[in-house]
Amino acid sequence: MPETAMKQYGDSLSVKYPVVELQNTTVRFGDKTVMDAFSFSLQQGEKVTITGRSGSGKSTILRCILGFITPTSGAVFIDGEKLSDYSVWKLRSRIAYVAQEPDLGSGKVRDIIKRPFLFRVNAHLRDNMSRLDELFKRFLLSPNLMEADSADLSGGEKQRVALISAILLERKIFLLDEVTSALDSKSKRAVVGYFKFRQDISILSILHEPGNEDFADRIIDLDSITPRSEI
Amino acid sequence: MSAENISMFNLAVAYLLLIFPLGLMLWYGIPGVGKMLLAALRMTLQLLFVGFYLQVVFNLNNGWLTGLWLLIMIIVADLSIIRNCRLKLKRLGASMFIALLLGTAIPAFFFLGIILHLPKILEAQYAIPIVGMILGNCMRSDIIGINSFYRMLRKDEKSYLLSLAQGATLSEACRPYLRDAFQAALAPMTATMSTVGLVALPGMMTGVILAGADPVTAIKYQIAIMLAIFSGTAITVFAAIRLSMRSSFTGYGILDRGVFRE
Repeated sequence: MPETAMKQYGDSLSVKYPVVELQNTTVRFGDKTVMDAFSFSLQQGEKVTITGRSGSGKSTILRCILGFITPTSGAVFIDGEKLSDYSVWKLRSRIAYVAQEPDLGSGKVRDIIKRPFLFRVNAHLRDNMSRLDELFKRFLLSPNLMEADSADLSGGEKQRVALISAILLERKIFLLDEVTSALDSKSKRAVVGYFKFRQDISILSILHEPGNEDFADRIIDLDSITPRSEI
Repeated sequence: MSAENISMFNLAVAYLLLIFPLGLMLWYGIPGVGKMLLAALRMTLQLLFVGFYLQVVFNLNNGWLTGLWLLIMIIVADLSIIRNCRLKLKRLGASMFIALLLGTAIPAFFFLGIILHLPKILEAQYAIPIVGMILGNCMRSDIIGINSFYRMLRKDEKSYLLSLAQGATLSEACRPYLRDAFQAALAPMTATMSTVGLVALPGMMTGVILAGADPVTAIKYQIAIMLAIFSGTAITVFAAIRLSMRSSFTGYGILDRGVFRE
């Protein structure tokens, strides 16, 4: 095969497409503009970290993508499909979301991790529970914690349990909201190492303080790209 | 044998019983004296009005008139639920009405048409008190159920949103809250059923005995009405929550706080 043809063939293999796109998205709560005509795209396999001061609208971006907030104007696309009250139910099932302070609900950790498999859309993934031991080990969690009550977990343990729960759902898009904020440096390395290793997923992560996230291909600082008091 | 009549003078004497709560409230400075007196006055006027009206309805014994009265009772209960749950009438009034209608009509039809086997279901003497008992209990349970459902949803918003993010449908994400609300709404009736007769003689049984029937007949009525009430409350609470969900969530499955009067 000629060299140019090989190059073209190689390029076509690595063609990336946006898995998440925000187009001129504006979010207003009453008089307050939280996000002003914000455009952004996350390519397939890309890992992007968004940073910015408190109140800059970082979490609002994730909430818009999940359909928890309906933008005042603009549009959100997941895998090229516009988020609407019809499509949102299907598109959410392509995303894994981990909140900064995850509310796991009450009960045993193992039961909490099992819970999403009760939803019809995840029922076929039930066997993934067999990966629990491996993931607990990987994220430096004691296997005894599986039988513990969620109320007895520390903030860092909760974050890792929420991450494991998200990983077991086999989504291709991860939205991570400051998921390492309560972790010690060793656990943080384990989490960052895992996501760095995963080439098959796209990650949009939120970070209050830049510089600690090692898996990001691209960092967007909201403070530097938006007018004051808006994103 | 029929119930002994109470003369108007003796009825007025009954108000002397208010001396005890009134005295205690005044002595200890417990607020709400005015509210209590107003409630007693309202109770008197409402019951006098209903008494006179029922006399007319019973004498005429017209199915349409009885039906109209039952409809008014359901509308009043509907408005009471909307007010007590601090909901917006325009948004949820119809859902609550349909739930009450279902929860009352199904067990009432069963009771009047099948158990009592009345030739005319809307016979005023039976239909009005039976529907009234079922409806009153449905209303109380509905207030507990609806309040519990929406309060827990608001309190546990993060957990609810996590379920949505994990791919749950609206119905799947709401299931734990519906389950808890249902349990809370039915708990008082379950407790009443398990202690009935031991702690107190229930209202219907007392009424039937006072009217001159033998205790065994009274017990049969009581068992049937308790089953009808239990069934009615379950239907009402379930239907009220499920029907209200259609108006109280956005198309994205987010609780629309605009349905509440804050």
